[in-house]
Formats: sequence, C-alpha cells, structure tokens
Amino acid sequence: MLKNLFFTLLILAGAQLFSGCSGSSKKSDQSTSDELSLPDSLVNDAPLQLSEEIIGDVIQNISSPVEMASLIKSTGVAFSQKTLNKTDKVSNYNTSFKRALNLGVYSADLGYINTFDKNTIVVSYLLSIKDLSEGINVGQFFDFTSLKRLATNSNNLDSLMEISITSFNRMDDYLRQQKRSNVSSLIVTGAWVEGLYIAANVIEQTNNKELINRIAEQKDIIDILLIILNNYNQDDNFATLATKMEGLKKAYEQVKITTEFGEPKKIEKDGTLIIVQDELSHVDITPEQVQNIVSEIRKLREHIVS
Amino acid sequence: MKKLLFSLFFLFSMFSLTGYAQGGEDLLKLALKDMGDGQYMKDFTIELKKAKKDVKTGYVKFSVILNSRSHYKFNVVNGSSNAEQAIMQLYDGDKLLVSNFESGKHYKSCEFICGKTKVYNLIFSFKGGEEGTARAVLSLVKQYSEAEMKF
Repeated sequence: MLKNLFFTLLILAGAQLFSGCSGSSKKSDQSTSDELSLPDSLVNDAPLQLSEEIIGDVIQNISSPVEMASLIKSTGVAFSQKTLNKTDKVSNYNTSFKRALNLGVYSADLGYINTFDKNTIVVSYLLSIKDLSEGINVGQFFDFTSLKRLATNSNNLDSLMEISITSFNRMDDYLRQQKRSNVSSLIVTGAWVEGLYIAANVIEQTNNKELINRIAEQKDIIDILLIILNNYNQDDNFATLATKMEGLKKAYEQVKITTEFGEPKKIEKDGTLIIVQDELSHVDITPEQVQNIVSEIRKLREHIVS
Repeated sequence: MKKLLFSLFFLFSMFSLTGYAQGGEDLLKLALKDMGDGQYMKDFTIELKKAKKDVKTGYVKFSVILNSRSHYKFNVVNGSSNAEQAIMQLYDGDKLLVSNFESGKHYKSCEFICGKTKVYNLIFSFKGGEEGTARAVLSLVKQYSEAEMKF
C-alpha cells in the first residue's frame, strides 16, 4: 500500500515538475538574481504616513495613458513624434528616481505610439523602457524579444499593446508586493504627466473641447498624486516634485466641475448589459485657465525629462 | 521512508502552486480574447479561498478611476474548477451601478457608460460564498463627445 502510494506520488511530482517548469524557467532565474532592496535615492528609513496597501490602492486609481492617447486620436489630429521624449536621453537618467519617473514617461509615449500604429519607432521606445526598467531592477517583467518581434509586424500591434500593458501591470503588482510603492508612484506620475503633456500640445493646435474637458477633469487626480508624493517628501527629489505639482494644482483652482443628476438607463444588447450612469459632469473652464494649466504641465514635464 | 513521502508531498504541493499561477495566465489570455474590439486597459485577478474557520468566502475589492463620457466593458473568465461563477459589481460609494449578475441572470460581460470622472469600486465574489478563481478585464469601448451623451 505504502509502496503504491510512494510511486503514485513520485509520478505526480515528476509530472508537476515538468509542467511547472515549462515556460517559466526564465522568469524564475531572473527573479532570483534580482535585488529586492530599494534603490539609492529611494531608500528612506522614516515611517510612512500612509500604509503600502493604501498607497497601492491609490496608485491603481490613476487613469491609463492609453485612454488619453485614444481620446487624442479621436480628435483627428496627426501623430507628432516631436512631442515625445527623445530616446537618446535615456543614458542621462542615472538615478533610480529619474529612471522610474521616465519609465512612466516612455510608457505613456509607447501607448501614444501604439494607438497611432507607428510601428517604425516602437522598437526604440521599447529599448528605452528596457534600459530604464533594468536600471530599477524590474526588467524581468518585459519579454523584449517577443515585444520586438511583435513590433516589426503591423498586424501584431494589438498584441504588442496587450503584452506591454500586462507587463506594466505585473511590474506594478511586484513593486507593491516588494513594498516599493515609492517606485510605482514615480512611474505612475511620469506616465500621467506625459499623457497630459501630449494632450496639452494637441489642445494648443486644435483647441479641442473634449480634450480640454478631459484635462480639466484631472483636477481631482492632482490631489491623489500629491498625497502619495508628499508621503515620501523626506526625500528631496520627492519634495521638489511635489512642489512643482503644487504649481499645477494652483492653476486648476478656479476650474469648476458640476454634476447633473438624471435617471440611470439600462440597455441589453447582444447578451450584454449596458448601464448608462445617472450622473453627468460638466466642466466650466476659461481659455486663460486652460493656458495656465498647459503652461504648468510644460514646466512639470520639463522638470521630469530634463 | 516517511520522510521521503513527506518530501514528495511537499514537492507536489509546491509545483501545484506553480501550475495554479500558470492557470491564471491562461485565464487572462481567454479574458483578453473575450474582450472584443475594445482597448485593453487593466486586468484583475480573483482568487478566493475559505480560511480554516470560514464557511464562506468573502469578496475582493479593487479601485478604479473611470472617466466621464467613456464607455467601458468588464468581462470575466472563470477558473475551470469553480463551483459557481464570479459575480462582479461596480459601486460608487455604497451605490451599486452595474453587475454581471442581475435578476437571476448571469452575464459574461457588462458595460458601463460613465458620466463622472472619479474613483469607483469593483467587487468580486462567488455565489453562495464558494471558493474560486477568475480573471476580469477592463477595456475601453468608446469615448463620447458631450453631444453624443444623450442616450
């Protein structure tokens, strides 16, 4: 009886060993060699005012740059490579603080590039992301060989987008598990500012109302980001970034957002339930306020990418 | 001999866990396939197990910022060994906005046209407090202009 059980377990364990190893060995190797400690300027012994869990929850809340890129595309304005952060600047980012912030910037640029199907420049942005992610010990979440392969074929751009986003999501989960939400917060801030910067450039060209509304609706997000950045303000880099962000917050002060209440609507279409919310927000913003906000976004973005 | 058996039990449990994680990636692939033509934005992992003393599993909560005049889709793929399907509910504070389980009917996906940019809560549970795994994907279907928001 015992002998039979022994052999059964041996076979089961062997089978699990083979199935468990297939396709995951590369990731395991890289994880073990990865240093889990906080990098240089982000090391901080001071107690956090907010728990890692709360910060993680707040970070998850920041909108995806993909949404902004999609809205920009819907305005009909042409893609502009000049707007993006140049990839040859990567070597200038030699602190973990700058690397994390600009990893966010390039991720937003990648979202913008993918949305406009500009596969000719995708690879150089992927390489920038590779360099920066390895510089902060999270390179293992990006399978750059597959990403480059997908980028060379325009039929694969949807898959490229999906793999890029899942890689970023996995990296973010990992950073939070490792209690490195300070790094996550910088990536998210960089991506958010770059999304606003690209939108601000389109607004200057087109004065598009939908984009102006979307920019105005970011008023509340600034408060969320400031709470996180101020949580780490014992670090001078975080404190300076938060101060620059305060300038943007000030530019938003007079923007008014009101809400109109109605009845929720329920539509069932092709087996899917569609609900239309019973609240609808309206933005009240003057051209001068838009100009001030755009100007502050430019200053903040320059501080990040310089 | 007993030690060897114990070691094999341990080895088996460890690699079962690895297999479980890989199953999660397979669920994500299925969820992305079911997503349709929308733009993938985020995914959520749902793994609910009963604690030793619990009779039922609870729920798992995620926060998401949804933007005004945006049409979102939430689709859920259940683990093959689930006894019950995952129930997804979108809340604004304590107000339930949309669920994939309504009037006794289980929808594979549900869509939400958002009117106000703010933080919403996404809650997943299993009917009857059963254990289970699932993967959900949030995608962007469309963004509307102010004029188009007259439904």
